[in-house]
Amino acid sequence: MTDTRVIDEAAPAATDGLAVQVRDLRMSYGSTEVLRGVDFDVRYGEVFCLLGPNGAGKTTTLEILEGFRPPAGGTVRVLGLDPSTQAARLRERAGMVLQECGFPRQARVAELIDIWRSYYPNPRPLGELLEVVELTEVRGTQVRKLSGGQRRRLDFALALAGDPDLVFLDEPTTGFDPEARRRCWAAIENLRRLGTTIVLTTHYLDEAERLADRMAILRAGRIELSGTTHEVAARAGLATRISFTTPSALRLGQVALPDGIGLAVRGPVSVCHTENAAMTLRRLLGWALENRLGDLDGLAVTAPSLEDSYLQLTGADGDL
Amino acid sequence: MTRSVRLAARQAVLEQRSFWRSAEYALFTFVFPLMILLLIGAANVGSYLPGTHVKNTTVFVPSILAFGVIVAAYVNLGSKMAVLRHDGVLKRIKTTPLPSAAYLGGLLASTVATVILITACTGLIGWLAFGADPRSGGLPALTAGLLLGIVCFATLGLAISSVITSAESAGPVAYASFLPIAIISGVFDPTFSGLPQWLSRTVAAFPVKALAQVLQGAYTVRPFPAWDLANLALWTAAGAAFVAWRFRWHT
Repeated sequence: MTDTRVIDEAAPAATDGLAVQVRDLRMSYGSTEVLRGVDFDVRYGEVFCLLGPNGAGKTTTLEILEGFRPPAGGTVRVLGLDPSTQAARLRERAGMVLQECGFPRQARVAELIDIWRSYYPNPRPLGELLEVVELTEVRGTQVRKLSGGQRRRLDFALALAGDPDLVFLDEPTTGFDPEARRRCWAAIENLRRLGTTIVLTTHYLDEAERLADRMAILRAGRIELSGTTHEVAARAGLATRISFTTPSALRLGQVALPDGIGLAVRGPVSVCHTENAAMTLRRLLGWALENRLGDLDGLAVTAPSLEDSYLQLTGADGDL
Repeated sequence: MTRSVRLAARQAVLEQRSFWRSAEYALFTFVFPLMILLLIGAANVGSYLPGTHVKNTTVFVPSILAFGVIVAAYVNLGSKMAVLRHDGVLKRIKTTPLPSAAYLGGLLASTVATVILITACTGLIGWLAFGADPRSGGLPALTAGLLLGIVCFATLGLAISSVITSAESAGPVAYASFLPIAIISGVFDPTFSGLPQWLSRTVAAFPVKALAQVLQGAYTVRPFPAWDLANLALWTAAGAAFVAWRFRWHT
């Protein structure tokens, strides 16, 4: 943890222990309200993921946290600083990977990382940076010859050059093939191991599930849900799913459906949803025993998944 | 302050290295002007300006000096800046604590280095191949012209970069915005004449002709070119005002 480094004279006492604190954040472009009172906290050392469909306000939120846009309302503290008035100091301690930021075309990998290091008071060693993002083998290659995945990892290296306490990543793997995504994730996990606090946006659920300690689902300018992956899935209020292979006697109509548990036969699989899994299971197994259906082949009890919650929340937008 | 200067110097070194790695920039900035110098220069050997004892090449060599300054400062810096902005490199620089002045200072220092090099090459070849050299009394005008020329055209380069809308069009737009003026100004033809008066007056208002005349004055017998230097200073001021108004770090 890097908590000790945030203690400085300009840090308001209210942000104790928080790398990022956002309260009632509002933003509009013209008459369009993009953020309508967003609240969330990011703790030191955690990977925090802002998840949501395109147009939800993720990039705008990030740009405000990075000090590129002043908010229309609300308060924002990043590393104890106000990004809209203390951007210069924030830049020394926060690394940023924005969307669609290019590189000088003719620069070589190590050369570029090295000059980036010179911009910061306490840079991280060059060799270490190359290793974290797995670019050691291409250190002498011109940037324009790198693949998309390598460029993104070079993005990370530049964002890390100043040994930041906090790194912002805006949609780090959008448009990548599975292999490039995997290596990106590996780089992000390397960062986490270094103790860097990471705030990332994504519209990929599996990415959030894989990387995030905590997440917030942003939709139409509001935080719909936030917490750990499990909390978010549970709070969406979805039912546990119980399924089993449809016994042939049931399929042939020789056995009546059990009462009161809403069992549905969907061809080879029978499914029901419940708020009380234990009770439903007891009734289901009792029914199976009565009708000599045995132990119900393929019986599965599935906790509500993050994907279910997310689809339910954002499904209206049809984005995923 | 010293830190900014050090950072700017480092940036300039990286820019120079990148410049020489890029065939297109190096080719257009060096090969193009030097080729014109040799080809058109050779065609003018033995000719004199009408009604004078002044060799054509004595006027032509400083014209190409001006051309080199304009290509290196205006075209190169302008198109480079447009590409950097379009590619998002300027935006990325803004995510770092590097002072903007140090970054721009580095780009300008690299531009100055390129101008010095192309000027030295043109001057040397002009002297060796055509025997054209500045008269000793012309050195103050030559120095003043080169200095003000770099400042003026680099400023105008930054200005034009702000109106270029894509990386692909950067080079063509930068060239197209000054080549016709350079031709009408007689940069490539010492005996160029016969323009309608309104056109020659219009063209004389542009800094291309002003810079060419300042440098020509250093090679031939002319009074100190105060008016032309004033012209360059005015264009510098206008360019700087435009830059202050329109310069953006991202698209």
